[in-house]
Amino acid sequence: MEEFIRKFGERAAELLKRLPAGEIAKALSILQATYERDGRIYVFGNGGSWAIAGHWVTDFNKTVFSAHLDEHHRRFRISRVPDTAEELTAWANDIGYDMIFAGPLANVLEDTDVVIAISSSGNSSNIIKAVEVAKKKNVPVIGLSGFDGGKLNQLADVKILVPTLKGDYELVESTHDTIMHLMTVYFREYFAHLAETNQS
Amino acid sequence: MIVVRAPLRISFVGGGTDLPDFYRRSPGRVISTAIDKFVYVVINRTPLIDKVSARYSIAETVNHPSELKHTRIKAALLDLGIHKNIEIASFGTLPAKTGLGSSSSFSVALMRGLHGFLGRKIDKRQTAEAASRLEIELVGEPIGKQDQYAASFGGFNVLQFNPDESVDVDPVLLHYKTQLGLEDHLLLFFTGITRNASEVLAEQKTNIGKKVDTLKEMAESVHEFKEKLLNGNFRGMAEMLHARWLKKKTLASNVSNSTIDELYEAGISSGAWGGKVLGAGGDGCIMFIAPPEKKNDIRHALKKIVSEKKIADFQEIPVKFVQAGAEILYNGDYVHNFG
Repeated sequence: MEEFIRKFGERAAELLKRLPAGEIAKALSILQATYERDGRIYVFGNGGSWAIAGHWVTDFNKTVFSAHLDEHHRRFRISRVPDTAEELTAWANDIGYDMIFAGPLANVLEDTDVVIAISSSGNSSNIIKAVEVAKKKNVPVIGLSGFDGGKLNQLADVKILVPTLKGDYELVESTHDTIMHLMTVYFREYFAHLAETNQS
Repeated sequence: MIVVRAPLRISFVGGGTDLPDFYRRSPGRVISTAIDKFVYVVINRTPLIDKVSARYSIAETVNHPSELKHTRIKAALLDLGIHKNIEIASFGTLPAKTGLGSSSSFSVALMRGLHGFLGRKIDKRQTAEAASRLEIELVGEPIGKQDQYAASFGGFNVLQFNPDESVDVDPVLLHYKTQLGLEDHLLLFFTGITRNASEVLAEQKTNIGKKVDTLKEMAESVHEFKEKLLNGNFRGMAEMLHARWLKKKTLASNVSNSTIDELYEAGISSGAWGGKVLGAGGDGCIMFIAPPEKKNDIRHALKKIVSEKKIADFQEIPVKFVQAGAEILYNGDYVHNFG
């Protein structure tokens, strides 16, 4: 048993040691640019990735500004699409499961926005459909993928790939979570610094 | 209606190497950053008015774009085949001719907006290419391509101009502490003396043959400047600028004039590590990199000179760096069907 636990930890640590720093830095820069122009961030994924998307919304909308919530003249505007389970089931049932992200995204996406797409395989067709909506509008796509990156890694403007064997969902999702937290910490420290030096 | 904006830029090292006479012999290279001062272009569709209207420092309303005085709007509209039913207005945070690349920021915003008007989405590279083509090929200005790329991409970048006309854009991604640190060490002043970049560049261009070695050295030094920037070595960056400033003075006779020299020397003797005059001209803006505790001394020294010389428009410009490039802020364009 302990051997199994140790081995899992080692595999997770190995992935964390090799985070794609250049691409993550690019993502930070794009998110900063979106903030500067008061654009919106839309994030989505299936299953565990859907949970990461929800966590992302919480951390970017609130945690990042926690230290000085009222002192920022502007905060991130991030949403998970679709907003509600009602909308999700309506798109899935009436139009097709492929459209659960692309459909709602097309309603709201504007030129000033950015999209974060999360898919361990990088090949979920509903994710790819939504990425295509963004590409058509020339809205930048930050793609978080695993395994060999799949189509998402090819299409995304920022290619955050956690390379693993096919099927290692848990390791990919844990690493995606860490990357989301890394960005949260970066912006939390940045915005706290701005507030503390009266630059917010 | 479509509202577009593009940032102005501060160019640190490599200006002049973006001119074709140089980069066709040897790759040119520039390191620059976008700043939080913008040019805005507003484009409005006027389905009931069969005219072209351009509003900038003056207002023009004409029957056909070929009658416009504004060379860039005229060339852009003719090239894109837009001949009527349009109003174009521009607004800026700062006045024109500051040496912060505003005329190219305008072209970048204009091209992004006009393509949007035609229902096309163009990306940052296509926007930079369209603006460069507009200014250099269609209008025939003797300028380089650095400003169009800086304004379109935003953020800090190393831009490389290749002999085959391609441009490599290598973003310099800084931790916010480095970025804010540089803001803390930077001083920018609008000198109140404006000029036309094309005039100085026209002269620089004729001199390029003689200056190839200096320009090669400048293009090469961009790598070293980038390393210093990444490491937050502001003093090292400033010292490189100081050395460059001395060298650039040999490039064209009027790159520097006596008032600018005096302001620069005053900044250095008040504690700045280095600096430069921004833009191609002998005036516009002057920038210093200095220890934060010396910034007030530098301000006072410069203000003393400009008040003696009665330069009324002299003004400090507070600067923050931005990641944002050219972008459509609002697109509410609607193709009306009046039958």
